[in-house]
Amino acid sequence: MHHAHKPGRVVSACSNHPRFVTWVMIAVTVVLAVLAGVPTLFPDAAPMLNGLKVDTDPENMLAEDEPVRVFHEQAKKRFGLHDIIVLGVVNEKNPDGVFNVDTLGDVYELTKYAETLRDKAIGVDDPEAGVVRVDVISPSTVDFIESAGVGTVRFDWLMPEPPKSRKEALAVRDRARRIPFLNGTMIADQTDEALCLYIPLTDKHLAHRVAVRLQEEIAKLKRTGSGEEYHITGLPVAEDTFGVEMFRQMAISAPLAMLVIFLLMWYFFKKITLILPPMIVAVVTAVITMSLLVISGQTVHIMSSMIPIFLMPIAVLDAIHIISDFFDRYGETRDRRSTIIAVMHELFGPMLYTSLTTTAGFASLALTPIPPVQVFGIFVAIGVMIAWVLTITFIPAAIMFIPESRLADIAGAHGKVEAEAGSPMARVLTLAGRLTYARAGVILLLTVIAMGVSAYGIGLIRINDNPTKWFEPNHPIRVADRVLNKHFGGTYMAYLELDAPEIDTDVHAFAEKVKQDLKSGMGDVDAAGVADRLDAEIDRLASTAGSPWDLLASAQSFVGDRLDTCPDEEYDAWDAAATALGEARSRFEVFKQPEVLRWMRRMQDHLETVRGDRGEQIVGKSNSLADIVMTVHRDLLGGTDDQYRIPDTPAAVAQCLIQFQSSHRYTDLDHFVLRDQSDPKVHFRRSCLWVQLTSGDNRDMEAVTRSLDRYVAEDPPPGGLTYRWFGLTYINVVWQDKMVSGMLQAFLGSFLVVLLMMIVLYRSVLWGILSMIPLTVTVAWIYGLIGIIGKDYDMPVAVLSSLSLGLSVDYAIHFLSRSRVMRTRFGSWRDTVGPVFGEPARAITRNAIVVGLGFLPLLAAPLVPYQTVGVLIAAILLTAGASTLVLLPALMRYLERWLFSQKIEGAISCRWATCASAAVVLLGVIAVNVHQFLGEPMIVWVSLGLMPVAVVVCYVVSRRRSCADAGNAQGGVS
Amino acid sequence: MKFRILLAALSLFALATRAVSADDLAIDEIVQRANHVSYYEGKDGRARVNMVITDAQGRTRTRRFTILRWDEPGPDGQQVDGDQRFYVYFDRPADVSKMVFMVHKHLDRDDDRWLYMPSLDLVKRIAATDKRTSFVGSDFFYEDVSGRRLSDDKHELVETTDNYYVVRNTPVDKSLVEFAWYKVWIHKTTFLPIKVEYYKADGTKYREYSAEKVDQIDGHWTVTKSKMSNLETGSSTEMSYSEVRYDVGLNGDIFTERYLRKPPRKFLR
Repeated sequence: MHHAHKPGRVVSACSNHPRFVTWVMIAVTVVLAVLAGVPTLFPDAAPMLNGLKVDTDPENMLAEDEPVRVFHEQAKKRFGLHDIIVLGVVNEKNPDGVFNVDTLGDVYELTKYAETLRDKAIGVDDPEAGVVRVDVISPSTVDFIESAGVGTVRFDWLMPEPPKSRKEALAVRDRARRIPFLNGTMIADQTDEALCLYIPLTDKHLAHRVAVRLQEEIAKLKRTGSGEEYHITGLPVAEDTFGVEMFRQMAISAPLAMLVIFLLMWYFFKKITLILPPMIVAVVTAVITMSLLVISGQTVHIMSSMIPIFLMPIAVLDAIHIISDFFDRYGETRDRRSTIIAVMHELFGPMLYTSLTTTAGFASLALTPIPPVQVFGIFVAIGVMIAWVLTITFIPAAIMFIPESRLADIAGAHGKVEAEAGSPMARVLTLAGRLTYARAGVILLLTVIAMGVSAYGIGLIRINDNPTKWFEPNHPIRVADRVLNKHFGGTYMAYLELDAPEIDTDVHAFAEKVKQDLKSGMGDVDAAGVADRLDAEIDRLASTAGSPWDLLASAQSFVGDRLDTCPDEEYDAWDAAATALGEARSRFEVFKQPEVLRWMRRMQDHLETVRGDRGEQIVGKSNSLADIVMTVHRDLLGGTDDQYRIPDTPAAVAQCLIQFQSSHRYTDLDHFVLRDQSDPKVHFRRSCLWVQLTSGDNRDMEAVTRSLDRYVAEDPPPGGLTYRWFGLTYINVVWQDKMVSGMLQAFLGSFLVVLLMMIVLYRSVLWGILSMIPLTVTVAWIYGLIGIIGKDYDMPVAVLSSLSLGLSVDYAIHFLSRSRVMRTRFGSWRDTVGPVFGEPARAITRNAIVVGLGFLPLLAAPLVPYQTVGVLIAAILLTAGASTLVLLPALMRYLERWLFSQKIEGAISCRWATCASAAVVLLGVIAVNVHQFLGEPMIVWVSLGLMPVAVVVCYVVSRRRSCADAGNAQGGVS
Repeated sequence: MKFRILLAALSLFALATRAVSADDLAIDEIVQRANHVSYYEGKDGRARVNMVITDAQGRTRTRRFTILRWDEPGPDGQQVDGDQRFYVYFDRPADVSKMVFMVHKHLDRDDDRWLYMPSLDLVKRIAATDKRTSFVGSDFFYEDVSGRRLSDDKHELVETTDNYYVVRNTPVDKSLVEFAWYKVWIHKTTFLPIKVEYYKADGTKYREYSAEKVDQIDGHWTVTKSKMSNLETGSSTEMSYSEVRYDVGLNGDIFTERYLRKPPRKFLR
């Protein structure tokens, strides 16, 4: 390597002052840990420092100022909507289902209890925080309306007190059935076996606390034999519970990973003295990195909680190479100082490059538009470089602490096992080495077939995520999800805001229209020239009014005054004018227009027909202003089904709504329509639809949004309404979209960076490309398999592609570097294969096993995304290791002539093909990566445009005299 | 009458100077007099009400209506503080204009209530055992408008201050109401309830009434501005009374189904 003298100085300095190196490391670690730990444990002691901040909110997968989040917050506030805990009650034993005296009695008590879950009752010191009492939906908190005999209508609580007889219990069911808002939402619509309480929260981060309290209360309430089951679900619970489980994961998986790595190393190297230094490097790396994370004020999120478990296997990687090599050589010299210097001399280059490529792979995650993924990528990248620094400083120092006597002993044991090449692993590797030469063609053919299969599999990939499915199938949240969505219209809420377009502000045009309205509205009741006086007044007002509604308001108050004071014979005329003006005004109130409400209901009918790919109904139920109006209308007009319709005039709609508000829950209407008479621009011009989905799968939500787009194209809403989705279920779709495109970009970005590094490292395009082949094949294969087995492409799967890239290129670097050196020594690839499959192949295999298996403890995590990460990264690393050892030698056999035909040292600028490709890749890196940060799209085009220029420049530069001279001096560059 | 029902944030200063020594009144006497000044002043009455409902986010809705009240006289035509009739005629917003709500309040049985919806040309009787639902979407309940029967609560004088009798009222039948108790501040001189606080069983105050303005009209102390706040939703409703008149000569016939479709214009204008 070029700069071998520099590592030599570092290594000898470290081995000369092992105590100093160790103390520095300990001091740095302790200082950082204190800086992070003190403000965490004693927040008041150091207010200027950042303590540990935990963030379990998947919403934060999107930046806070992301338009969809901003809109979500605004719309929630506008319509007074809260995140909801769903408490399902199922009774499959009682013949009357949940509608029996015992179960409804329990439900009554539970509702009363839920309403108390505020403030200190849930362990927070805030009287405003907790359950939003007035919005709880439960049989005892909702109203019903019914037609009670001829000419009479009745409003009452649905279940003012627990039923005392079977008859009363069944009456609760029969009444609720008749209220469309409740049927399929509060009570199951197909069976009598289930009902749901909807418990809104002031803050979704209280969901877990409230859920735990409810569970405790349920345990107390449960009457033996009544056969009820209780289920708690809803996205806020799932998301909040996830955070709690996240810490369990960190407490279980990280130490378990340590243990696995420790055991594997113990198996490979036999002596604990030897494996302690790498373990120390791993722990120190994790502590420093996490401390930096905390100190810098970043939050520990779903992603960043995985940082330690990623760093530990990576941190021991280089140390394994050093120790492996150290003991192969120690036997020869029996001098630890000269041995370690020699080892570091040989490994410094590959270690630096593997660390840099790994860093590049993780750092590329900074290109994704998802903040937690960025933090994760950047801090793992920092951690990898910390591990590298520790490896080249502390490992040599640590070795100096081990007495020569102990080393001799260990070296002997090690030498016996490994040097004899008699271990099963060594035998398998030797055989594999021979096969890669003899059957190279078969290997390449199989690879091509595998790539074909992968391409097919990648085509099958299904992009989908669902935070509820982050829990294992038998987790109570998953069970609740299955049971409740079987009985109900769905427990996943998405909301659709409908907006009327801006009002035309041309006052004069409006004045003319109003005069027309008056003419047709007043018709033949005009008396004593009222119409003429009014026309004159309107013309006068039109010249001063600032807006159509100002004009109308002034005209209305003018008429109002006349109504109060006019002579009796004029009264009817003024009265008709008032009515006409009222109608003119109500045209602003879009959501009182019968045709708008009818369209809403048609659109809802359509949504309820959307099917998933298993043919299941996705939208089980939707609730809107239209449903409210229709229900009130029906019961005001005798309660028969034919009156379940939107009445024919806006005034009739308004009067139905006045009745709806004459209830106990008079603020409910605010959840469906915006009302503000002081602002005609919004009053009855924004409406909210509740859409209940039976699944939280993003692809199901997407199916609904797409279907609505198509529907609107066919049946456009009256009055140019626009629509916009919000709600947690929808937000998940948005961040998934960002993640998929972001990850593709990150993958491409890190691929180019690593390729550039490889071209520079090997001073050769061919070698550079060769080194990328195993990981490319691996990633293609793994993603192809994901497509074929039908595993959803979700958040962890997406993140893995780019980060596995930086890790799995390590094997190719080590393999190619060692092969190149050995090929020079042995003269032909045929003779080189055997030795390469000796110590180098064993080191690679050991590494793949240690690191790959090191991630498997994630399987013990209670949450599915961690398990996915564990399985996939292990699979990727093991596959990458295997494909390196099988595919590269097979390729090298065929490419031998070109790979080794020239001596490839010397200035890169003298090798025009290398120079040109490096330049092209560099410009590609700039095009893909840099413009992300600068946000300047021109950079892409400039970069692409510069590519041919770079090729020409490289060609010209390589022809210069100094290159020819250097080439001749080195023995000729052809 | 609505505009008497509601307690008054009086010009207390002026009233206090006229305070009589009434500290020795019995609780029954206090609540009866408060009930009388709130609902039974004069033989009948009318008022125009402007109602502004303001939600927690400051958004407003308005309604305007005219209330007519007529008391059923005793057998000899005397005032008995007994059954009453109310006629509530809406004129704003325009789309509920001409809507009428009518109540026959009975002391010995459930009230009779009617609703006339002009746009549907529909007269409905409203069967409601529960009078504690919102009055046309405001924070006032029907019962706040027509008055709560004295016999529905047990009354207890908990405190006598310089200006007020503070009375704690506990419902006889808890299942009919959403409160556990309410406290009323009855002004010693006028006997107008000036403030009412409603409590849940756990002691949280969730609803509050206050009389914001009191005037003397035709010799009757009258609340001319009152406010009801829902502390749980952050919403509040203000009612302002104008054109208040007593003893306008209404007769009982107006308060019948016939007049729902054909409002008695001369009393409403």
